[in-house]
Amino acid sequence: MNNRKMRNLFMIPYALWIILFVVTPIILVAYYSFFDIEGYFSFANYKKFFTPVYLKMTLSSFWYAFLITFFSLIIAYPTALFLTRTKHKQLWLLLIIVPSWINLLLKAYAFIGIFGKYGPPNQFLEWLGIGTKQILFTDFSFIFVSVYIFIPFMILPIFNALNELPSSIMDAATDLGASKWTTFKRVIFPLTIDGVKTGCQIVFIPALSLFMLTRLIAGNRVITLGTAIEQHFLVTQDWGMGATIAVFLIIFMFIIMILTGTRKRGV
Amino acid sequence: MENNIIIKFQHVTKTYHDDLVLDDVSFELERGKFYTLLGPSGCGKTTILRLIAGFTEATKGEIFFDGKKVNTIPPNKRKVNTVFQDYALFPHLNVFENVAFGLRIKKFKQKIIEEKVKEALSFVNLSGYEDRDIKQMSGGQKQRVAIARAIVNEPDVILLDEPLSALDLKLRTQMQYELRELQRRLGITFVFVTHDQEEALAMSDEIFVINEGKIQQRGTPLDIYDEPINRFVADFIGESNIIKGKMIEDFLVEFVGKQFECVDQGIRANESVEIVIRPEDIEITTLEKGKIHGHVQSVLFRGVHYEIVCQDITGNEWLIHTTKKAFVGEEIGLFFTPESIHVMRLGETEEEFDLRLQSYSEDQTNE
Amino acid sequence: MVFNMERRTTPFAKMYLIAIFIILYAPIFFLIFYSFNSGGTMSHFKGFTLDWYRSLLDDKRLLIIVLNTFAIALISALIATIVGVFGALAIYSFKKRQTKNTVLSLNNILIVSPDVIMGASFLILFTIAGIHLGFMSVLLSHIAFSIPIVVLLVLPKLNEMQPSLIDAAKDLGATEWQVLTRVIFPYITPGIFAGFFMALTYSLDDFAVTFFVTGNGFSTLSVEIYSLARRGISLNINALSTVLFLFTMILIVIYYFLQQRSHVKTMGVRK
Repeated sequence: MNNRKMRNLFMIPYALWIILFVVTPIILVAYYSFFDIEGYFSFANYKKFFTPVYLKMTLSSFWYAFLITFFSLIIAYPTALFLTRTKHKQLWLLLIIVPSWINLLLKAYAFIGIFGKYGPPNQFLEWLGIGTKQILFTDFSFIFVSVYIFIPFMILPIFNALNELPSSIMDAATDLGASKWTTFKRVIFPLTIDGVKTGCQIVFIPALSLFMLTRLIAGNRVITLGTAIEQHFLVTQDWGMGATIAVFLIIFMFIIMILTGTRKRGV
Repeated sequence: MENNIIIKFQHVTKTYHDDLVLDDVSFELERGKFYTLLGPSGCGKTTILRLIAGFTEATKGEIFFDGKKVNTIPPNKRKVNTVFQDYALFPHLNVFENVAFGLRIKKFKQKIIEEKVKEALSFVNLSGYEDRDIKQMSGGQKQRVAIARAIVNEPDVILLDEPLSALDLKLRTQMQYELRELQRRLGITFVFVTHDQEEALAMSDEIFVINEGKIQQRGTPLDIYDEPINRFVADFIGESNIIKGKMIEDFLVEFVGKQFECVDQGIRANESVEIVIRPEDIEITTLEKGKIHGHVQSVLFRGVHYEIVCQDITGNEWLIHTTKKAFVGEEIGLFFTPESIHVMRLGETEEEFDLRLQSYSEDQTNE
Repeated sequence: MVFNMERRTTPFAKMYLIAIFIILYAPIFFLIFYSFNSGGTMSHFKGFTLDWYRSLLDDKRLLIIVLNTFAIALISALIATIVGVFGALAIYSFKKRQTKNTVLSLNNILIVSPDVIMGASFLILFTIAGIHLGFMSVLLSHIAFSIPIVVLLVLPKLNEMQPSLIDAAKDLGATEWQVLTRVIFPYITPGIFAGFFMALTYSLDDFAVTFFVTGNGFSTLSVEIYSLARRGISLNINALSTVLFLFTMILIVIYYFLQQRSHVKTMGVRK
């Protein structure tokens, strides 16, 4: 009895949080999506979402998110694998995570300088004789910076998955005659697939909704779902349309979570 | 006599999500004795322990402690302490503080706490280990800290939940002696849960054999070993040969197509029964002297004895422990005394069994 | 250990890791390097100067923003830790697996949901509730998104604790409250610290949510940097980033030290 009373006491602030900041906001977003800019109830926003402009934007948003996730994975997996084989792996891991603790905005800002007209890459191109190119405000710079920002989040879950593998498993595979590549393909990768899934989930969902980078690095060339939401809420004040896009983003989020299996973030 | 009873269960039933764990169990435990609850895992023995400790509540029935009903009394208000299977020592406290935990809760003065902890630690041969971290202790030492932590509170009953199962064989045997010795010195009731029959036989004043939520048989180790009430007990306590038979009349039973003299009575004539003969009660002899003939199928040297398996003419397998050697393929004679034959009635309950035993001890006194 | 010995890092692996490290740290050192540039741009290094740091110190507005940012981070992390620990205890105490999982899923929604969604929905919430957009709305949102992280960091510690420890404490006479303060809290302290620090960094790092729910006259560092950066390059930001980088490093060292200490204390538990 006593136990239950105490548990209820614990529960109160936490339950309030769930109700006020988890459930209510979702309901409110869904509710607002049914109001047009004049404040009348309508399905106009949903109709608008299925026009080519918004569908194209959604598709391109997915395409960019996919590219960002793909490149992050390609770069992060070997990093995680090599990290598990270093001597002081926990220290190295910490060093990998440290940049992710530096304010995101500062890193984005750094790339404005780096990719600028007189930044190091352009100076290098100049030296090669190719001449200065426009790097900032291109798809390349957007994807590069995004990948740069997301890489630690991809490395961490994969590293954890690799780190949990008992070394005897690798020995067993080798013992049974598997080559290095076969061992990787048949044993290591399948066993770390959960880490990969978690990493993809952690990267893909935010990548869908980036808006700060699109403004600073992509110079409004790239419009993601996130940019659109921000635009509607803070610039055009069309909360209804913004909420509608948010509803779709939430739906996509749940689909991705189901596809990749709900796992906690390994931070 | 009533005063001597510390714990009493009356028709206690326990279900977990419609799963019947304890089925109408009643028993009494006396002060100062060493009890063992013996049974396979999932039989309900740990549930009995948790009911005594107060970690769980009975679904039906009443539990008395020192004459008072304690069904809903929480564990922190019971004069019972538990030694857990995984020791459950607090990792953030050192040895001294672990043992002192209960005393600190009861707000004893520091000086008294120091004295009592010191005494408890010396009781379990751990003097001088006060400042050690729990993680620095070996399995056997942790075990002793757990015991010290329980006895320092001077409870009326100490509950031990398979406390030796994590130790290796040699240490286990040593701890068996130590525990028994400790119980004698402290003079308080120990309730010991185990699935190891040898442990139970070696340590207990009284054993409760439990299976499927019921007490199958209770008694001294000797009683239970010599007079198992049913197939389960016979099989669980030591190895045994269990053979189908028929009661012809008092003191005469038939099995393997022959009639044998026995010591059992009070069973209806021609009733189907089961015969238990312990492997060490069978002697190997010549074919002429043997009561039964067997064909030797395997011989295994076990160190102290040979373990021989042979088959009689009706196809029953017999397990024999003997110091004599036999050879595979050989025909041998098996000899046993009438006292070695234990007759079990099918489906006889403990009460009926006790009644029958009583009735013929009365018969004997009448004669 | 054996694994490490036998499988030495190949030269290729070493090169790869070094390249990754260079790329990860280059932008940060790039910023720091040009913070000493008297030239005023992030391209031609004219000469060494500390002017940008001086002007940073003179900037009263920025100083207030820095104070705001830290106030928000500390208060929100503290409150989120308290609520989160109780939340973890509540989830831990649920007997039914299904209830446990449902609450955990609700808990994780804010962790996986994109910042933009959080920002937009909180904006609606605060507007409807009539909460003035500024310190209060930012603080509430930071508490809100930090709670689930604390829960996720504390819960594993609770789960790793042998249930018999609680039984043992009760058995030795402890009341529910004593079980909590004398056994459970000491046991999960490393998780609580980790949760607090993580909440702190989440709050310091947040841009998107704050950007949505802050009003005129209240700004945090992230938001300020964003608006500065949109206007172009200003080496004030570089100086600021150097200071922040040093501060982050100090935080990391403290965190690492705390973890090491708690690690030693509870080593037996961690297997």
